Amino acid sequence: MKNINLFLYEWKHFIRNPFKVIAVLLLTFAAIYGLHNGASLYHKQKQEIERIQEKVKEDRKEYRLNYTKEDPKPSAQEPIMAIWFNHIYQFKKPASAIVYSIGQAEQYGFYKWVNVRSSPYDNDMTQEIANPERLNGGTIDFSFALLFLLPLVLLVLLYNIRSLETEQGFITLVEVQHPKNTTWLLSRITFYLVLMIIIISGLIFYGALLTNLFKTMSSAFFLMLLYSLSYLLFWFILYYYILRKGKSIIHNSLVMIGVYVLIAFIIPATVSQYLSIKHPANLMTDLIDVRDDRWELYEQPDSLILKNLYILIPKIKDISVSTDRAKTMAKNIGYYALANEFMKKSALAIEEDSKAKNQFIRATFWFNPISFYQNRLNKIAKTHFLDYKAYRDKIQETIDKQNHTMIIDTWNDVKVDQKKYNEYYTIFSE
Amino acid sequence: MWQIIKNEWHLLIRSRALLTVSLGFVLTFLVSVFLGDLQSQKQNKKYKTAKEHLREKWESIEEMNPHGAAHYGTYVFKPSNLLSGLDEGVNSITGNVLRVEGHVQNEIVHSEASQMQSISKFGKLKSSLLLQYIVPLLLIFLAFQSINSEKQSGRLKLMLMQGQNPANIVFAKTLSIWLYGIALLILSILVYTLLNLNHIYSDLISRMLFFFISYGLYYYALCGLTIYFSIRWKHTSLALTSMLGIWIIWTIFFPNILMSSVEKWHKLPSRATFNTAMKNDRSKGLDGHNPADERRKHLEEQVLKQYKVDSLSQLPINFDGILMQEDETYGNKVWDKHFGELRNVLKQQKQSYQLGGVLNPFISLQNASMGFAGNDNLHHQEFLVQVETFRRGFIKSLNDKHAYGGSKTGDWGWKANKSFYKSIEDFQYQPTAISSVFSHYIVDLVFLLFWGFIVSILLILGTKKMQIL
Repeated sequence: MKNINLFLYEWKHFIRNPFKVIAVLLLTFAAIYGLHNGASLYHKQKQEIERIQEKVKEDRKEYRLNYTKEDPKPSAQEPIMAIWFNHIYQFKKPASAIVYSIGQAEQYGFYKWVNVRSSPYDNDMTQEIANPERLNGGTIDFSFALLFLLPLVLLVLLYNIRSLETEQGFITLVEVQHPKNTTWLLSRITFYLVLMIIIISGLIFYGALLTNLFKTMSSAFFLMLLYSLSYLLFWFILYYYILRKGKSIIHNSLVMIGVYVLIAFIIPATVSQYLSIKHPANLMTDLIDVRDDRWELYEQPDSLILKNLYILIPKIKDISVSTDRAKTMAKNIGYYALANEFMKKSALAIEEDSKAKNQFIRATFWFNPISFYQNRLNKIAKTHFLDYKAYRDKIQETIDKQNHTMIIDTWNDVKVDQKKYNEYYTIFSE
Repeated sequence: MWQIIKNEWHLLIRSRALLTVSLGFVLTFLVSVFLGDLQSQKQNKKYKTAKEHLREKWESIEEMNPHGAAHYGTYVFKPSNLLSGLDEGVNSITGNVLRVEGHVQNEIVHSEASQMQSISKFGKLKSSLLLQYIVPLLLIFLAFQSINSEKQSGRLKLMLMQGQNPANIVFAKTLSIWLYGIALLILSILVYTLLNLNHIYSDLISRMLFFFISYGLYYYALCGLTIYFSIRWKHTSLALTSMLGIWIIWTIFFPNILMSSVEKWHKLPSRATFNTAMKNDRSKGLDGHNPADERRKHLEEQVLKQYKVDSLSQLPINFDGILMQEDETYGNKVWDKHFGELRNVLKQQKQSYQLGGVLNPFISLQNASMGFAGNDNLHHQEFLVQVETFRRGFIKSLNDKHAYGGSKTGDWGWKANKSFYKSIEDFQYQPTAISSVFSHYIVDLVFLLFWGFIVSILLILGTKKMQIL
């Protein structure tokens, strides 16, 4: 009963201290602002995707007219042109959980026209046009408020608990009334824990409403809640031990801010600095060298091109190309397919480099909680590096499919009609 | 006043806790400067190797059609600035590789940040991170009880009875703590200079000087404000929480919120809209690969008239090369228009953001720090402009060779030799001189000065209302 009274009495402490109330309001304001930033990005990306899809629809409608004529253009009947003018796009559709964590969403492109000449490392795979200074500072999103502002607000809420009594000399009186000093301390700080749980849960719920999260990915809501509350608990435990040992307000503030600075700034920054020494930024010379490989392809004799194509797609060995035109077309398309293979090969080295970097970052998670939580939240929001890697893989898969289909169909001298044209769209847009 | 400052320093040195913290700071600074320098060295080495590799590829061209060479193109890598060891600015966000080719002005790609998962929201362990976020906290902790503790111990009364001017005491206290920050600042700049002694030149010295002045002014504003709270608030803890609150708002809340808002006030187009607009504008002009184009006809007539011949086959030169160059020239106009608009929006965003310095000196400090270190968006744009200027010259040489090198119109099989390709100079980055961009940072320095002035006024007013007991 005594402990419950302590817990309830803390409410009075809280509302009588304008600094604490302002700190909580600031956190709430920043988190709401961040949630709206996330929601705004979600709607913006969705709208842009819808706009592109609409444009593709119109372009395709226009191109389809070629097949309604009595005597269709010969080029429209060729698989390469039909696939090209299908305007196949791959999208990294924003997940509704992006409302919580914008993560790395602003560092990559989210739509791409995929054709035989594409690669997942093309220029249009880079971020949307944005102010680099803004990207550098990062957008305030919910995860920012949670990871960086919550510990500071907790600091403001807790820094003088127990130390104020110690400084004013009535800690002994408290000890007389509450022989179990730790229970007294716990009861008081639990009030703030509960307050924060209510605020954070409310904010997460509010965020879910902004992007209709419950309709599409309700599990993200619970995961977000789980990680947010575990993060809150992590700081509470840390601060609790500081308060238990603390003798004065100044000492507590100094240690608490020191721990915050260490965990939020110094450790991640040191890891980042060390990583860039161990693995400096990749200048992608492997990809650049593909340019020369491609160039050399044009110099190669047809027999060698065909030999390599047979290795790539053994099935075509058994198909005899019927016309000269088909033969020339098939060989030309073969260049793209072989260049694509060069690109894939060189991309492996880049992926390996990224993998090594990511492994290094993961290995630091045990002493680098901010990065751990940041990446977990990004994963929930599907704005993690790996989500964009999956997007790149999907693009590569589409390029491979396009090349493969084009070669097989050209070899088979397939004449594209409206049905086939639509079929291509269905296959490559999957 | 000097005596009080000396006395304050004696007290600071005697504090074992502060000595330990200072030692920790000095070590962290040394580590940050050393690691920053090491990273710059490694990155520069990688940059040099990549640049040489690319040049080697270019020079190894035996024979190639000049237009083919324009498509083959080359690549430019963004070099790291010498001062990026102090403040990296936007470098990890902007890309590192720029493809230089005919018909198109490409964007810089492959940023460091995009090559891995998230690590640090506040960047790497550079001096700027410590100087902008951590040192101010230390200064706040040193200053917040400076006057109050004197009041409580009765020393303030004693000093006043000895004839000290209250304003002198307050300013001496402010300066003594400010000097502590300045000492850390000097240390980081000095160590950095020593590590790079062979590469330092006058422009860098000027940059470091302004870098130093910006931080010096900010620290003064911060120390003064904390001392002011220490005078005004009865309880030391109140002074501390007020300053911590201000630190949070200044460094974490305000810059982020303002920057996001600025991007909403001055909107940038989406990539798709931007590219479509350029494509539309470009298609109105000459298309080098489209002989049916009207502009082509006009150009053809012009050239035929100039050479006094009736058909392209009679021309002593290769009309295709002229056509390509005309197409480039038109393309350049389109790119200048669109990229120019983009740069204007970015400029407006920057200017609006800089105005935030009137409410928050941290914004001015951050701008000045990365600006004077040569790593803000303005310097990044300067780099891009240099690359584009190079690209235009590069493509023009190829088109001119195609037109006037000895081939005839339609002769796509004609090839220029190795010596020609070798004669085309490589891209040489010219670091932006501080004198050419200084005007952009005046506003930041003015706001920092303004804050120094405001804080001095506050200190004078605070001194007048100061309660001795």
